[in-house]
Amino acid sequence: MNKWKKKKPETIKQFKRPTLAGDGFGGRAGFFMSRAITNIRQNVFVNVVTIGTITLALLIVSLFLLIFVNLESAAENWSERVQVTVYFDKELSAQDQTLLNQKISALSGVSRVNYVTREEALKRFKSRLKGQETLLEGVRSEVLPTSFEIALKRSHRDTAAIENFVTVLKKIPGIAEVQYGEEWVRRFNSFLNFMRLLGALLGGFLIIAVVFIVSNTIKLTIYSRRDELEVMSLVGATRLFIKAPFLLEGLIQGMTGSIFSIFLLFVLYEGFLHNAGSFLTFNPTTSGLGFLPFEYVAGILLAGALLGFIGSLTSLKRFINV
Amino acid sequence: MIQLHNVTLAYQHDASALNNITLKIAKGEFVFLTGPSGAGKTTLLRLLYGALTPNRGQVIIDGQNITRLSPSQIPLLRRSIGVVFQDFKLLQNRTVFENVAITLEVLGWGRVDIGKKTMHILKQMGIESKYNLVTQRLSGGEQQRVALARALVNDPKILLADEPTGNLDEANKNQILNIFKEANIRGTTVVVATHDRRLIEQSHFRLETLIKGELLVEQVEKEKTRDNQAI
Repeated sequence: MNKWKKKKPETIKQFKRPTLAGDGFGGRAGFFMSRAITNIRQNVFVNVVTIGTITLALLIVSLFLLIFVNLESAAENWSERVQVTVYFDKELSAQDQTLLNQKISALSGVSRVNYVTREEALKRFKSRLKGQETLLEGVRSEVLPTSFEIALKRSHRDTAAIENFVTVLKKIPGIAEVQYGEEWVRRFNSFLNFMRLLGALLGGFLIIAVVFIVSNTIKLTIYSRRDELEVMSLVGATRLFIKAPFLLEGLIQGMTGSIFSIFLLFVLYEGFLHNAGSFLTFNPTTSGLGFLPFEYVAGILLAGALLGFIGSLTSLKRFINV
Repeated sequence: MIQLHNVTLAYQHDASALNNITLKIAKGEFVFLTGPSGAGKTTLLRLLYGALTPNRGQVIIDGQNITRLSPSQIPLLRRSIGVVFQDFKLLQNRTVFENVAITLEVLGWGRVDIGKKTMHILKQMGIESKYNLVTQRLSGGEQQRVALARALVNDPKILLADEPTGNLDEANKNQILNIFKEANIRGTTVVVATHDRRLIEQSHFRLETLIKGELLVEQVEKEKTRDNQAI
């Protein structure tokens, strides 16, 4: 400003046409960005509150997602146990085995077919009765049936699909006795559906609450600066010019909030969640909760950014008709 | 520069705030708009910068019929109009410099030019030493000058002022009036709404009087000698 004190224009001189801050989209975007950052720096408290709200809101949602995703994967593990077994009284010849195996594998929905010989069946029987082997004294493998164990693809594990599959299966000549634990499958599937419905409901309410809270917080921050909106409008700023910095600010708040929430979730997870909850699975190798898969993390980041942006957009609408 | 033809405006549920106003203000003119409180002075000014649209009649500013402008064109109109509000409408937690620079930022000026031009106008207003103070720490007269600086910084074609001397002492009033006169000499059309008779009597500009939303046309021709006697 010293430069100004040196020069003393005696008369009012006309300034030549000023250079513009930036021409084209790039220049404007840069200007809006710098304005948004200035705004954040000038309103630290309000921004901390907003980012904090978004962080907590998204943390709640992502915690819920974490639990939901883990329940789903546990259910996935359980449903591995849904399988269809075809029993035979006699040991099949190698030729019959391959023939039937091919026919069964050709059916839609089959993920794996496994032939269980009498010896194998006895071995399993024994291992299941561990500690009480005496019960099996005198039991020879000949009394046990041989079988095909058919594992189904994930999309074919619900009750109706299994029933369909079994009717088709029974049409293959040579197959008579088929078992798939009808009752268990039915209960398991209805339990799963119930859980999903509950999850969707809870998640839906949670998201509505979060959107409501966040948009109201943003509304308050913009309300606190309505003077600025008004002044800008009165000195001839276009709507885009007024809105853009606020929208960018909302975007930055949303992204920052979502990054914090993912970080906090990770801390919580590393802290104590990842070795809890082994009761959810039957498979000891996957005990403990898994962290959110990458798509979910990306989704939360995106949701945060959108939340900030749309929150600002809807709030601005209310104040910008000055 | 400014033409109103049979302009009528009513707020909701209210008797008309402005009734059949016809007014022409030429380029470079200086006009006082006076009348008792509630006569419609502020409403008339708001019509001129496009904050209100009349129920009936036409408002033509600088050749543009603003009753036919789309909302997206209003900002462009406002860039050629400087407005000084009764309550200043300054951003309280911003510095003097930022408050004035906002006008130029909106026009898309570069940083260096904004700095030069803003400091120049602040110097004209005699408040350049306060450029880095937040406006809420300024006196009423200083705030008034910041508001004026913001309105004049882009050399508007039209300057509208609503009660610009409201709470000022005599010395400040005279300084503000001089600033208006200077702007007028530079070619800006000036419209000042005021009910301060002394301000009007001190100068010899055209006077328009609004009473209950209607316009009385009177020309105030004053002798210089009476001015001198008053002083």
